[in-house]
Amino acid sequence: MAAPALTLRSSTALAWRTLRSMRTALVLLLLLALASVAGSLVPQVGVAEARIAATFRDHPLRARIYEQLGLFDVYGSWWFTLLYVLLLVSLGACLLPRTRALVRNLRARPSPARELDGLRHYAEVSVGEDPDRAIAGARRLLRRRRFRVHRADGRPALAADKGLAREAGSLLFHWSFFLLLIGIVWGKGTGFTGTAVVVEGQTWVEAHANYDGTVREGRFFGEDHSGIRLEVEEFRATYRPTGQPEDFVTVGRLSRADGSVAREVEIRVNEPAVLDGVRFYQFGYGWAPVVEVERDGEPIASAPIVCTQATPPTGVSRLQLPWDCVLKLPSLRPQLALELVLWPDSRSLYALLDTGTAMPMFRAFAPVMTYRLYRGDLGLGSPQRTTVLDTSRMREVSSGAIGAGETVDLGDGVTMRFADLREYTVLQVGRDRGLWIVLLAAILLLVGLLPALYSSRRKLWVSAEPHDGGAMLKVGGFALHRRSQFEEEFARLVAELRRSSREEARA
Amino acid sequence: MNVETWSRISTDAFTVAFFAYLAGMLAAFHHLAFRRRPVWVASIVLTAAGAAAHLVSVVTRGVAAERIPLGNMYEYSLALSFLVVVAYLIWVEGVARVRTLGGFVLAFATVTMAIAALFLHVGPAPLVPALNSYWRQIHVSSMIVSSSLLALGGVVTILYLAQDRRERREALPPIAGGSTALRSEEGAPHDLVPEADEPAEGRPTRRRGWLPPAAALDRLAYRLIAFAFPIWTFGVITGAIWAQEAWGRYWGWDPKETWSFITWTVFAGYLHARATSGWRGRRAAVIALIGFVSLLITYYAVNLWIVGLHSYAGVS
Repeated sequence: MAAPALTLRSSTALAWRTLRSMRTALVLLLLLALASVAGSLVPQVGVAEARIAATFRDHPLRARIYEQLGLFDVYGSWWFTLLYVLLLVSLGACLLPRTRALVRNLRARPSPARELDGLRHYAEVSVGEDPDRAIAGARRLLRRRRFRVHRADGRPALAADKGLAREAGSLLFHWSFFLLLIGIVWGKGTGFTGTAVVVEGQTWVEAHANYDGTVREGRFFGEDHSGIRLEVEEFRATYRPTGQPEDFVTVGRLSRADGSVAREVEIRVNEPAVLDGVRFYQFGYGWAPVVEVERDGEPIASAPIVCTQATPPTGVSRLQLPWDCVLKLPSLRPQLALELVLWPDSRSLYALLDTGTAMPMFRAFAPVMTYRLYRGDLGLGSPQRTTVLDTSRMREVSSGAIGAGETVDLGDGVTMRFADLREYTVLQVGRDRGLWIVLLAAILLLVGLLPALYSSRRKLWVSAEPHDGGAMLKVGGFALHRRSQFEEEFARLVAELRRSSREEARA
Repeated sequence: MNVETWSRISTDAFTVAFFAYLAGMLAAFHHLAFRRRPVWVASIVLTAAGAAAHLVSVVTRGVAAERIPLGNMYEYSLALSFLVVVAYLIWVEGVARVRTLGGFVLAFATVTMAIAALFLHVGPAPLVPALNSYWRQIHVSSMIVSSSLLALGGVVTILYLAQDRRERREALPPIAGGSTALRSEEGAPHDLVPEADEPAEGRPTRRRGWLPPAAALDRLAYRLIAFAFPIWTFGVITGAIWAQEAWGRYWGWDPKETWSFITWTVFAGYLHARATSGWRGRRAAVIALIGFVSLLITYYAVNLWIVGLHSYAGVS
């Protein structure tokens, strides 16, 4: 029974040794880079959804292979995770003994002198003081130069070293990646992110149901949505004369669920608003006409309708496209639905009719909507989106145009009034409690990197012997890194020893 | 003076700088081949004059656009090529006193400028709201500074590989290196680059052919990259902070983010490779070369061919 256990143990040991080696870490690091390349060439989930759909349409076989290999979601795939987990394990295996060694090294004193003249750098300085005073002077000098200095017992000799910051920095740099990963996993795991669509004048409450299905919650999310309320007073988009966007701003008021803190906020691109860790980012906007429908003088519907825009063809700006809106009236029998096409600036529509090219619409100007009225069955039994109309069981009964403030008769005593035109704002809402950990890790990483790259470990020994009524100082040392620099540093130190002893002698 | 005047001064100065560099490059290559000191002096004077005109071009561009001129690919290229030349003048000529690399560095700078002028040029204009953040200035300037140093390191690495090949081919008998006894003293496995200043073993220190000894080129490339690496790291971090402010997430695997990560990883690999036995020298240099290619992809390809959030950076 002992033999297989031994094999297991020895193979584990072999795997552990392999994992610990620098070569393995290096290969894993380069593999991680290679995997990332794949992720930048193949369209990724959450970054380029449209191109993924196009791949499935145009090259179904290739798309299926990609999907099987996880290439559409490289950074969330099992093999990418495996790569960086292996890299971190390898790193940890390497860092633990090094950290122990550093702690030992920090506690230990610089080791005592040996044959100084056998060292890479060696010099002799004759001074006028006796050996003890000369050593005391050398000690002061090295201390001033921030060496760790240890005086040998009973002998006029010093051992000094400097540059443990290199190893400490290197360790800090590498350990920070673990902190970084903790911050990312914890922050994403306990956080959420989604988009909120709010029409001017409306109040939106931060809760799962109000994201319209766009919210993504982390794996350890505790259903603790904040209930924060955002009243949107106004959305403003401004453009330069050239048509280049200048500013997008949502003006509103943020308050907690219990109604406490009420704060005026202006949310801009690059200027999010934050309350209790929940962040609101300016993300998009659109138009929302307020349409009032009445039957025999009884209001049936009176609410702003959130309109959407098709993707503009190449060469056409988003500002030149009209907006598509859908109004469903399920309470009527037979059911009615309106398909609306909104032109916030009617001059653009007229320009399109006149010249074939729509004018860009920067702001509302005598808005107009064209409409098609459908009658029949909305098919509400099956799940559907509010912005999409299923006309398979409906029949178009009439069409026309309506300007702002106007009322049209849709027949059967039903009237529609284009009461108002408002804008809606699209905000990205999210919470990530790990942000501070991630930032801290990034700072520590950088703080560690600098000494790891630029500082160097060097050791120095000084001993003194009686000589000519004074003393002969023997100085020896070496550097483990940046040797050409140490050569200069060593020469400077020796020169300073000589000079300080001369000054002492004169004094 | 109005925007058009400033803009014209900027493009004129650009042209002056371009042709001064071109002439400086020819002089530098002439010096490389025939070793005439006055020609070397001429190349330095031309390069310095070009750099002065280049600085004028950058500053007037900023005046014309009424902001720091780091808002689109044309402006990045303008700043990048300027910094490559300045870093070369200070570092290669000034500190390292390597007199033979000017031609290659100026070739890189002029190609960058030619690409900028031919394919990337846009008139000075204010920024779209997404770019309007002070993080942009910190992020973009650190990326440009580190890119220029890494690019310079890449040029030197290519020359190192060429010279190393030559030295190998000439099959010089190995000369005993300095004291290697101390080497294993603290051979910590993950330590970054313990042998940074050590010439490759058994290599001559006297010159072979046109270029400086391979060991000197290797050392120079290492120093440039080791200096640039923390700045690149800082640039990626500030980019993440800006992404958090602008897009609500600090990292989203957008192509530009992905490629900056790849470049970072490859250069981190280079720094570690230099500390790993069996990877020093040529292999490490090949990794640095891959890093150089990755840098160029990060800089150009992502903006020009790959669709992502960074693709608005001024080229349509």
